[in-house]
Amino acid sequence: MLLEQVEYVRPQSLDEALEILANDDGAAPLAGGQSLTNVLKNRVASVDVLVDISRLDDLAGIARTADGGLSIGACVTYDELDRSADVRQTHWLLGEVAAHIEDQQIRNKGTIGGNCCLSDPTNNLPPLLVALDAVMELRSRAGQRSVASADFFKGYFATALEPGELLVSVTVPPMPAGSGAGYTSLAVGADAKAMVRAAARVTLDGGTIADSRLVLARVAHVPVRDTDAEARLNGGDATEESVAAACAGVADGMQPIADVHGSSEYRRQMAKVMARRAVSQAVAAARGSRNGSKAGGN
Amino acid sequence: MGERGTSHAVTVEVNGEKVSRIVAARQLLVHFLRDTLGLTGTHIGCDTGNCGACSVIVNGKLVKSCMILAPQVDGATIETVEGLADGDSLSPLQESFHEHHALQCGYCTPGMLMSATYLLRQNPDPTDEEIRRGIRGNICRCTGYVNIVKAIRAASREQASGGRPVPAAAGEEV
Ligand SMILES: Cc1cc2nc3c(=O)[nH]c(=O)nc-3n(C[C@H](O)[C@H](O)[C@H](O)COP(=O)(O)OP(=O)(O)OC[C@H]3O[C@@H](n4cnc5c(N)ncnc54)[C@H](O)[C@@H]3O)c2cc1C
Ligand code: FES
Ligand code: FES
Repeated sequence: MLLEQVEYVRPQSLDEALEILANDDGAAPLAGGQSLTNVLKNRVASVDVLVDISRLDDLAGIARTADGGLSIGACVTYDELDRSADVRQTHWLLGEVAAHIEDQQIRNKGTIGGNCCLSDPTNNLPPLLVALDAVMELRSRAGQRSVASADFFKGYFATALEPGELLVSVTVPPMPAGSGAGYTSLAVGADAKAMVRAAARVTLDGGTIADSRLVLARVAHVPVRDTDAEARLNGGDATEESVAAACAGVADGMQPIADVHGSSEYRRQMAKVMARRAVSQAVAAARGSRNGSKAGGN
Repeated sequence: MGERGTSHAVTVEVNGEKVSRIVAARQLLVHFLRDTLGLTGTHIGCDTGNCGACSVIVNGKLVKSCMILAPQVDGATIETVEGLADGDSLSPLQESFHEHHALQCGYCTPGMLMSATYLLRQNPDPTDEEIRRGIRGNICRCTGYVNIVKAIRAASREQASGGRPVPAAAGEEV
């Protein structure tokens, strides 16, 4: 396969990368390349210069924040998330979801930054990051700003990134005391692309759900919180019956997308099932010692 | 300052040998290996990152060489299927694929061998499920995978016992 003629540059610093991106409309960051390479092959976007950010120290590594959260460099790969002791210790599910993205080759190259900046509705990490209240740290030559993950994903392959702006890191706050997370996908085959996903985080106060996040993916083109369902969960019993009752109305106020993989109504029904399972996982995780449940794969 | 351009000087170590070439920025690593270096053991099955036939190991990491541009690997150490055998002596995994009839047309085999090599380095004693997950990114249209899993399992046992794998009797579960 012959790609269109393109320039390539590997800047030595973040500032140099931002400089090139600011000066050239046709410049595109190249991270893991596991989507962008195919975009170039298909010639669906015209790129003048590929700015290889994958070796920049400023975008690498996972650090523990002062409050016990995580600061994850944009070019951290799925495999690094999977193997990170820090991630597994406090945000076990994030490592687990990363460990089930497609296959080992893609996990060795694909980055958390690329997974988010592409805003492909089938990508695994966005709904989980929204459920965990993650914050996207963006930088351009003009300066740095923080955008809540819930506001970052704007549409089908569209994000809040402005021209010339890079995602530099993702901040994941600490899991609240007594909380747990869950994640389920409806897919044909293990670790495959999903038709519907749900990601959840619940905080328990004894036998009661004190607070919750319920995020649906592939129902719209971006991850969406079902705040009606969250309101039904909050203050309710953390029992299977009560969770099932709260999730029975999931996606009722929404108009799920329809495509070759499933009709709108099928997605709505499956969203209820995925939501119930994800919330149940989160409750089980909150009761266990782990912040993020073991059950359920991706 | 990084050098910007449509062609780049690249120096890599491929199967223990240092090579330097000028590459086009748009050249895929798989084409660099096959066309520029003549290492045609690495196959192209799909060209979209789906089949794994082009899998190689770059700086110790298993990757699909159709999903990387040649200038990206400057300075890297690359292992391809040609580097597995020692002269005429096959690697234990290659031997095991041969003994367990783990290939038919052989098109997927170079990629399978690289994925299996990577897997056994990371996890010398994988379960069958771990083996299946290890070759999740490699498609085989012929074998149905059963003999590939058997071959990898046998090679891991051979590695553990420090000897060559014992050939399985026909029809016997290894
Ligand atoms: C066969 C196949 C199957 C796949 N299946 C799945 C799957 O099931 N689930 C899943 O989640 N993913 C899947 N992927 C996609 C994969 O996860 C990609 O790695 C991911 O979509 C993009 O990450 P990347 O690091 O490779 O980014 P790249 O391909 O390098 O970049 C993607 C886009 O993001 C931009 N970008 C990258 N980093 C930044 C940054 N820091 N700041 C600003 N912009 C940036 C790039 O300019 C580009 O537009 C699959 C890929 C393949 C080839
Ligand atoms: S040719 Fe690279 S994955 Fe198929
Ligand atoms: S042996 Fe033919 S594709 Fe695997």
